[in-house]
Amino acid sequence: MSFFGFGQSAEIEIYLDGQESRKTAEVKTEDGKKERLLLYYDGETVSGKVNISLKKPGSKLEHQGIKIEFIGQIEMFYDRGNHHEFISLVKELARPGDMIAHTSYPFEFSCVEKPFEVYTGANVRLRYYLKVTIIRRLADIVKELDIAVHTLSSYPEMNNSIKMEVGIEDCLHIEFEYNKSKYHLKDVIVGKIYFLLVRIKIKHMEIAIIKKETTGTGPNTFTENETIAKYEIMDGAPVRGESIPIRVFLAGYELTPTMRDINKKFSVRYFLNLVLMDTEDRRYFKQQEITLWRKGDKVRKPNLQSPAILAGTQTLENTAPQEDDQEKTEPAQKEDFLRAPNSQSNDKLNASDPFDQRISSPTESPPESQIQNMTREAGDGQNDPENTE
Amino acid sequence: MPTTPPQISPVEDQEKYLQDALGVVKAQAFHMKRALDKNKLMDALKNASAMLAELRTSLLSPKSYYELYMAITDELRHLELYLLDEFQKGRKVTDLYELVQYAGNIVPRLYLLITVGLVYIKTNYALRRDLLKDLVEMCRGVQHPLRGLFLRNYLLQCTRNVLPDAADTDVDTPEGTVKDSVDFVLMNFAEMNKLWVRMQHQGHSRERQHREREREELKILVGTNLVRLSQLESVTLEKYQKLVLPGILEQVVSCRDAIAQEYLMECIIQVFPDEFHIKTLNPFLKSCAELEAGVNVKNIVISLMERLASFSQRADTQGGEGATILQQVQLFEVFSDQVASIITTRQYLPPEDMIALQVALVNLALKCYPDRIDYIDKVMLTSVEVFQRLGLEHLESSSLVSKELQKLLKIPLDNYNNLLIILKLKHYAGLMQHLDYTGRKLLSIYILNNALDNETVIPTQEETEQALNLLSPLVNDKEEQPLGEVDLEELAEEQCLLARFIHQLRSNVADDQYLILTAARKILGGGGPQRMKYTLPPLLFQAYLLAYKYKELKDEKWEKKCQKIFQFCHSTITALVKAELAELPLRLFLQGALAIDQIGFENHETVAYEFMSQAFSLYEDEISDSKAQLAAITLIVGTLEQISCFSEENSDPLRTQCALAASKLLKKPDQCRGVATCSHLFWSGKSLASNREETHDGKRVVECLKKGLRIAKQCMDVSVQVQLFVELLNHYIYFFEKGNDQVSVQILNQVIGKIKEELPNLENSDETEQITKHFNNTLEHLRSRLETPDADGVSYEGLEV
Repeated sequence: MSFFGFGQSAEIEIYLDGQESRKTAEVKTEDGKKERLLLYYDGETVSGKVNISLKKPGSKLEHQGIKIEFIGQIEMFYDRGNHHEFISLVKELARPGDMIAHTSYPFEFSCVEKPFEVYTGANVRLRYYLKVTIIRRLADIVKELDIAVHTLSSYPEMNNSIKMEVGIEDCLHIEFEYNKSKYHLKDVIVGKIYFLLVRIKIKHMEIAIIKKETTGTGPNTFTENETIAKYEIMDGAPVRGESIPIRVFLAGYELTPTMRDINKKFSVRYFLNLVLMDTEDRRYFKQQEITLWRKGDKVRKPNLQSPAILAGTQTLENTAPQEDDQEKTEPAQKEDFLRAPNSQSNDKLNASDPFDQRISSPTESPPESQIQNMTREAGDGQNDPENTE
Repeated sequence: MPTTPPQISPVEDQEKYLQDALGVVKAQAFHMKRALDKNKLMDALKNASAMLAELRTSLLSPKSYYELYMAITDELRHLELYLLDEFQKGRKVTDLYELVQYAGNIVPRLYLLITVGLVYIKTNYALRRDLLKDLVEMCRGVQHPLRGLFLRNYLLQCTRNVLPDAADTDVDTPEGTVKDSVDFVLMNFAEMNKLWVRMQHQGHSRERQHREREREELKILVGTNLVRLSQLESVTLEKYQKLVLPGILEQVVSCRDAIAQEYLMECIIQVFPDEFHIKTLNPFLKSCAELEAGVNVKNIVISLMERLASFSQRADTQGGEGATILQQVQLFEVFSDQVASIITTRQYLPPEDMIALQVALVNLALKCYPDRIDYIDKVMLTSVEVFQRLGLEHLESSSLVSKELQKLLKIPLDNYNNLLIILKLKHYAGLMQHLDYTGRKLLSIYILNNALDNETVIPTQEETEQALNLLSPLVNDKEEQPLGEVDLEELAEEQCLLARFIHQLRSNVADDQYLILTAARKILGGGGPQRMKYTLPPLLFQAYLLAYKYKELKDEKWEKKCQKIFQFCHSTITALVKAELAELPLRLFLQGALAIDQIGFENHETVAYEFMSQAFSLYEDEISDSKAQLAAITLIVGTLEQISCFSEENSDPLRTQCALAASKLLKKPDQCRGVATCSHLFWSGKSLASNREETHDGKRVVECLKKGLRIAKQCMDVSVQVQLFVELLNHYIYFFEKGNDQVSVQILNQVIGKIKEELPNLENSDETEQITKHFNNTLEHLRSRLETPDADGVSYEGLEV
């Protein structure tokens, strides 16, 4: 690229080895579009060739050297100037000199460590790219090529189910169970809700997958919540003793693995939010973090014969829990329903609601009644008809 | 503030909501089919989902929702057929079953899941068992009663032809066996029933009726599950006993909802074959005892009994397997025991229902075991025990329980149409005692009518006693009889029935008949004057008939027996006399005298004389009304005229007494007529003296008639006088024609002349007209005799007409 209309200029092309056959992955760009990039994994060698073609054949290109860099960086959108490079590898392709003809330079970053997965969020972006620079006195000629990186995990050793009894005293007690705490991205959440006490008129129940992106540290922490999916799992009002099955296929949603404290810059975490809506449009919910991970991409067999299509109904028997067993073996963790910050609620309803006081002061509840509060918020207009996909 | 769930809106709104929804359905279905035509499955699924989203509404009544449901499921068929077609062509869509589960709303999602699941099952039976299990499980997500019921109904409809129906094997087969089907349907049934029951508890209590009507409309959806179970061919008796019925009953009993229990029990009875019912009577009936208070258990049990009874009748006529099953199962015993336990466990069961159950038991016994009277008796005994336990006596006849009891008591009667069989029931009478007086009386009348209509003959003394005791409300006075005026007309009607019945106390053996009569006499004697006057006469006539019979039989001691019979008659009539009756015993004495005369046993003259004299003394002592006296004397004369057994010694005083009595009548016209009647005694009366021939004492005849004329002349009223003259003239003519030489043409002329003289003086009146007519007719007779005299008759020569 030349600032002046004259002088030699060159075009850089980065060719990666095996790019015709390499897998690609869809990565969101900053402006929300999606592009397909070649996909690499941690420790994989990134090699290829840099082809430099001169625009004016015959005349020479003077340069101070040619280099290629492999960069992994985190960009904060509110701090554009500062890019945090967590990886920066450089290879010199040519010493300073003149280039008179099209030249091709092979390069290889062998066994590059790629600890994080590419990510484009609301406030942060993590990318990997190759950067070729022809150093010149006036203006360098630069070419960048983004690649996609997926971090793979193996099956987690510990993957307990999430089992919890939650409720609002004398109003609603439920026990829910998700079959795992860690799900891979094509996994299926199987679970059930068991109603121990129902004194409110429930209209429906849904599960929402919420992505929580946290950036920055200390006072400069930004948290962005995004509801990835809303999935109705129950219609109508159940009675005590009813047990409602849950089955959510994750493959259909845009999810990334859970990222914790990536380079001390940001985190992306996922929550399952169980939401009950009563006939007065009040919402009761309980969030539960789940860990998402990426499984090594074996080709998923579309196997019609296999009961896998039933996605694990067999793994979780939908039976009423027996109180005795429960206490002996693994007592369901008892916890609060959280109360959502009242920001969105128009508190007209709450004023006359005895439950609300109880919720707002969970500490007053006697210690033995460990069933903690579920969150309730007043009608927030969430029951829009478009909460489907 | 929307405190209640969305109200079901009024009719016109319903119509609007429904039309709106149907409009959407039509549009989406159109797009769906277009997409399918273009093989754009994903688009089609989206349209289908949008269409199904209409089923999420809460605005529609069950009826409108049903319409919407029908329209939508109809369109879903297109999707199903398309997918089936694609699958069969081998173009399977990867992960379709997963794909449809991305639908965010549960109602459309599950409809799609079921539709797709069905396609999977139809194209690959190896998935069947697991898919069925999955589908029925996933449907739990819809807890809204109306939507849930229809969703599960869709599941049931879709799977109706693909339920595994193979007999169980030890090998685990993914295609599933009938057991999987049973589990599937039972689970669906239980969930549907829960939803259905839940409807009852939603909304305001003042809308209860409305809700119950809605539930009524939806019950068929729940019942369809049972129909499906009954359609599984591999559900054998054993499976039914061990798996199906316990499953259903458990749900029915535990749902604790009266409407559901009543409907479902009825459903079980209707959809499963009788052979199954017969073998599962005990568990079924046991469950009946556990149903809610509001359940009409009676109807359920009765319905079952009726079904089995007609089954048994069919089996009897066709023979074969059914008959053998019946022999194995003691149908009656089982029902009897279970009904007893239902009655004891269900304290709140109204007594009328308890009795209604007994009614059904009797019906069952009659239909299945027509010759087992002991069964019926057992029911009667149980009923008695029930009443004793409840302490119920004298059931008011208008009460329901009394009506049921009457029904119970009438059934054996209606069935056998034979009072004798009723008499064989030991506890029948005892049970009847629990009715109040009116009830018993009504029933007695019913029994009587039955016996009369069927002409049931009571052939022994014992049965006579039983029958009359059974009918005691009609036979006797009871202390509990309501006080106050007795309706004489009603009484007369009842007693006439009883009197008719007495004619059916009849044995072919004369001696037995005697015993019957004495027994009846003893019982009927307690009925008091009002009844005796109706009941004793037939008894007497029976007795007279018996005497005639002895006369025919002429066995060794017949004369003695006849004497005894008449002694019996005498005392019976005397009883009537004691009851302060006069005319009736008088007539009975006369009738007796006639019978005695004709039978002619040893010593009969004395007896006849006694009867006659009793009649006379009754006449003299008891009959005071002049008209009655005249009638009585006429009867006595008529009787005496017929009797031929008296010697001169006895007949003369009697005749004279008659004449005397006649002339002593109070009124002149009566005297006149009485005397004229007496005249016949001397002409056609018979006695031993005249060798049982007519006496033909012409002189005394004329004396009598002359006396009549004399008396007639003494009458002040001319028209009466003339009337009597005309009557006397007729007597004269009678005797003249009979050849009494003491009557001459001159006398006739005199009388005629006398009449002619007086007749014009009469005032014009109806009476006069009658008299004139009588006279003219008489003259007409004489004239015709004058013109055409009989060859051997007397001559009227010289008569002046």
